[in-house]
Amino acid sequence: MHERLKALRELLDRHVVGHEDPKRALLLGLICREHVYLEGPPGTAKTRMAELVARGSGSRFFFHQLHRDTRLADLVGDVVLERRRLEAGEGETISQRIEPGGVLTAEVCVLDDISRAPGEALNVLLRVLEERRFGHERLPLLCAVATGNPAGDEYYNEPLDPANLDRFALQLRVGSLLQSRQLDAARALLDGFARGQVEERPEVEPVLERADLDAVHAALARVEVPGPVKDALLELLRRLVVDHGCGEASALLTDRSFLVKSVKLLRGQALLCARERVLAEDLQVLSLMTTFRVPEEVHAAVPELIASVS
Amino acid sequence: MSALAALRTGLDVCLVGQREAKQALLVGLIARQHVYLEGPPGCGKSQLARALAQLSGASSAEPLVHRDLRAEDLLGEARLERERDGERERLRQRRAPLPLLAAELWLLDGITRAPGAALAPLMRALAERRALGRALPLECALATAGVPEQETAAEPLEPAWLDRFPLQVRMTGLIAAGELEAARSVLDGEPAPPLAAVLAGPTRGRLQRAAAQLPLSRDVARAWLALLEALAERLDPELAQRLSDRALLAAAPAVFRAHALLRGAPRVELEDLAAARLLLARRIPAEQQEELEQVLDAAAHARVPSVAPAADAGRSGSPGAGSGASQSAAPGSAARYGSAPLPQPARPASPDRADVLPLLRALEGEWARGRRGLREDPSGAPRGQRRLRALDEILDADPLETWLYAEGSWPGLPHAWRRQRRGSGAVALLRDVSASMEGRLSVWAGQVIAGLVRSARRSGLRVGYVEFAHEALCFRDGGRFFHRRYSRVLAQAARRRAAGRTSYEAPLRAALDELRRAPDPLRHVVLLTDGLPVAGDPEVRVERALARRLRVRVHTVFVGLGTCPEVLDRLSAETGGLAFLARPDQGGRIRVQTRTSRPELESCMNV
Repeated sequence: MHERLKALRELLDRHVVGHEDPKRALLLGLICREHVYLEGPPGTAKTRMAELVARGSGSRFFFHQLHRDTRLADLVGDVVLERRRLEAGEGETISQRIEPGGVLTAEVCVLDDISRAPGEALNVLLRVLEERRFGHERLPLLCAVATGNPAGDEYYNEPLDPANLDRFALQLRVGSLLQSRQLDAARALLDGFARGQVEERPEVEPVLERADLDAVHAALARVEVPGPVKDALLELLRRLVVDHGCGEASALLTDRSFLVKSVKLLRGQALLCARERVLAEDLQVLSLMTTFRVPEEVHAAVPELIASVS
Repeated sequence: MSALAALRTGLDVCLVGQREAKQALLVGLIARQHVYLEGPPGCGKSQLARALAQLSGASSAEPLVHRDLRAEDLLGEARLERERDGERERLRQRRAPLPLLAAELWLLDGITRAPGAALAPLMRALAERRALGRALPLECALATAGVPEQETAAEPLEPAWLDRFPLQVRMTGLIAAGELEAARSVLDGEPAPPLAAVLAGPTRGRLQRAAAQLPLSRDVARAWLALLEALAERLDPELAQRLSDRALLAAAPAVFRAHALLRGAPRVELEDLAAARLLLARRIPAEQQEELEQVLDAAAHARVPSVAPAADAGRSGSPGAGSGASQSAAPGSAARYGSAPLPQPARPASPDRADVLPLLRALEGEWARGRRGLREDPSGAPRGQRRLRALDEILDADPLETWLYAEGSWPGLPHAWRRQRRGSGAVALLRDVSASMEGRLSVWAGQVIAGLVRSARRSGLRVGYVEFAHEALCFRDGGRFFHRRYSRVLAQAARRRAAGRTSYEAPLRAALDELRRAPDPLRHVVLLTDGLPVAGDPEVRVERALARRLRVRVHTVFVGLGTCPEVLDRLSAETGGLAFLARPDQGGRIRVQTRTSRPELESCMNV
């Protein structure tokens, strides 16, 4: 099983250079069944990575480029009207329902440029993602990957509402290789293109099957989380709240994310390292959760904080 | 009572902590009263409500609440009936009832995300327990919602609607509340097993009837009234209005009875008044919770003497002590507590949000005027519906109605989503942090700034934030002065510092320089200060002229006991801005009033 996951990771590495954190976040999202939000300027391989994970895992895949005029129907399927004669009398019933499609039938979906069009359907969409149900139907959805540009005037978008952002357990900034000083990776990328070895739109064969994902998910629950790791997690939270003032007003350290989802991600990280037990070093994965949940300067200090508690 | 214990255990298995919310849900179920849970995302609101629905064995329905919700989605789809009557054909629109109306428990998750237009018929149904001309089997509605201040894309329920939920609880996350032991047990917890119903239908009905029949003595009723009276006396009159008869007189007895039943008592006793917290705590703002605690405390202490006349010999916990007192509490005499002298409440040192509100409302009104840009509102705020007005709105129109309209069988025009206009503007917030601005004033100023930032966020305005003493410090986001990173400004505004003297020139100049470059049609400055300008030009002549030329409206807020310098009045008057005066009163609260414009100023303006 670990071999399969490794294959997926290698697939990512083969097609995208650098970007260690986003790759890890996407894999974690897939195996822990959590949503991922990637924010970064255009041209930083956000969509490419998301697509690779989706295709490489052989999941039923839905991609949508959101834009200013995206409507709910584009994402969840068509609105249909049904007209039925009433049996008694001469009346008729006319009702409106949605023919499921798009997000409702996909296992992995990529919602590109989500911040570009928080318009029309976004609110409904995000609710559907969170609840993983629409009406009374459970969705087959495993993981939604949303990408967005940084909030700012030049991109004609708006930052997501904090409550909406909380629906993406994993959230991180993606910078360009140059910007984030991954110069070796930048050189490798340049070399690849210079030698003409890079295909623009490679065909990707799945390296995982759905059964593998189910097996990983089952294995997740068996990963042991030792007491000291839990203590360290709590100590980290305590320091964030008490020492760094991340209270209810200035941060979004919700119970759901940091007491429930965080444990899932720790387990996922252990599995990615082919372990059945969470180690203190796995706590670093929490810094993939805090990006937009705590003030920026606190987030910058999170890796250090984690190191000091573990 | 084992069924009740099982119910409680079920909730405990499902979620750690949140005792009060669980209690409210149980009381709501037994008393058949509606419950409203409010809290930040991820604190378990929906989980608890769903768990109760599962455990209670009641039939439940949970409509997906979102901003495009229509009344039809909640109550029933449109059904059109055609009848021929000789030559004529009659079309009649009816609703085919949806599962929601047949459910005993309604789960309204994230209710503030729905547009008011869709909720209106539901709210009526909720209060009357009737809809579409028939009685509903509804026992209780469980609504959950985020905290209004934290949600930008939500529409808080109107007070009148909120009041239909007698039981209201404000929840806080375990992490935020610092309950780390509880948090630890969440981490240790096994994944919860799927919940099964623990109450069969008949059992639930029996419990509800048993609760309704528990005797509630006159003493308890009096005590409750006295408690309410004491509370009303201590609250600001405006707040006292929130103590509605519907919740606190009509629904309260059922709540107390349910509370008594839940603890296995044979009758309602004074200690059941503890359930008052579920009725009152969220209705009273955080700043006045202390008053509530005092009144409830007083009630708890008066317990022994008042209980005695009920001759409840079997009850433990009321050892002898009160027999003398009980004689004086003869039936018919005035209530025993509430009339007792209560210690003068120490006024909370923190400012009252209610005092900031008039100021915020007035200013928000000012920039709401600018919502005339033709850009569509891209935010997730709930939308309403209105009749189609132009053909290009047809894509936003209700498909069903449009179809019928096109076919010629829809009377009038179809409904279309209302597109809100989005404000396009910039506001510079200038906050005095000179040495005199400390303690209470500073806290208050921070709160005003926070309120303004939130209202700017609602209106879609970009904000710039300046702290000034004799020098101005502009807080930039990635080099930009005006931006939409509202949370950054909120975080900065929460910090406090106070040093230096005051200059009006420095901050105004800084803000106007930025506004000069801002393309926004709508530009505001809010100047918040407590001091006289002792540095820079005290008359800020250049800046006043510049503001006039740029058509920037400068709103001024003077806070503190001193006299407001005339130049602030001039600034506001010349630029068409608002002028406020905020003074601490004897109680230590800060009261806001509008500064009246001075006639001589107006005359000099005309020249």
